[in-house]
Amino acid sequence: MTADELDPLIHVPTRLRIVATLAALPDGDTLSFTRLQDMLELTPGNLIIQLRKLEEAGYLASEKTRNGSTQKTTVALTSQGRAALGAYTRALRNLLGGLDGNGRPAEDGRDQVAR
Amino acid sequence: MSYTPGTAAAAENGCGFDPSQAAALLEQATGQARRTFMPFGPPLLWAFRAVIGLVACGGCWLSVRGQQPYSGPGGWALTVAFVLVAVNIGWTAWVIRRGGWGVSGPAQRAKRAWIGATVVALAAAYAAMAPLYHSRTSHPVWGLYPASAPWLIVGLIGAAVATARRDGLRAGTCLAIALVAAAAGFGGPAGAWLIMGIGLGAVALGIAGFIARQQRRSAVWS
Repeated sequence: MTADELDPLIHVPTRLRIVATLAALPDGDTLSFTRLQDMLELTPGNLIIQLRKLEEAGYLASEKTRNGSTQKTTVALTSQGRAALGAYTRALRNLLGGLDGNGRPAEDGRDQVAR
Repeated sequence: MSYTPGTAAAAENGCGFDPSQAAALLEQATGQARRTFMPFGPPLLWAFRAVIGLVACGGCWLSVRGQQPYSGPGGWALTVAFVLVAVNIGWTAWVIRRGGWGVSGPAQRAKRAWIGATVVALAAAYAAMAPLYHSRTSHPVWGLYPASAPWLIVGLIGAAVATARRDGLRAGTCLAIALVAAAAGFGGPAGAWLIMGIGLGAVALGIAGFIARQQRRSAVWS
């Protein structure tokens, strides 16, 4: 297995952080756009672009609600998104468990993460 | 290995973002999210609750020890207990507000309903002391009731509700509290306070340890 086989939609630092953060919420719960932006310390423009890519892939669902003059956007990971993160984590584990930093079989892949 | 934003800029499109960096970032982001959302509160809060159990109930035990006839905890012991409980309420409210900011959905609603029901049930169980007082209940009953009965009632009801909702941690916590309260019933009016203090302290410390372990659990390797 090679790094090319990691899901390219998740294997980008910003999107990986978004997916990991939303996955920590209980299934069915949503997070407001402003809270997510605050947690990840991203600009609104950057966050919107990354969220759109994840939403187009079906990994994420967003909802806009209007309360008077203010509009609130909430986002949540879909079951497809959770499954994709699970598959990505398994692939990562296989990669790190199977190879050391030089591409040789490793005795324990955990050492690489710890280093 | 910890992930730094500098490496993020270079790897924004996934180029040069190697698997070990990805694993480190996944651990970092998951850990941060777990500590932020904290469904059961931080381990430190539970450690503080263990201290409350020990100090508040321990203080009551010290003030009633050797009383003949039993007349209940002294004013200083109750003052210490109320102050500690008030600090706990304030800290808990802050944790709930901080963890729940921007989060909505069924789990959040269920959490709020659970907290509300627990507060009402404990208040109702303690409010039942008023008729007991006016009916001139015997001193042993009067001594045992406030130390253990509310916790036994709320613990058993909570364990049943949490089990029905397949909420393992809450069910286990409530059952442990009910068991401690049942054991305290055998300690007599004074001993009940001591057993409750040690028992509640041990339960709260156990939860603190469990939450700390959950937060440290690897996102990649577990």
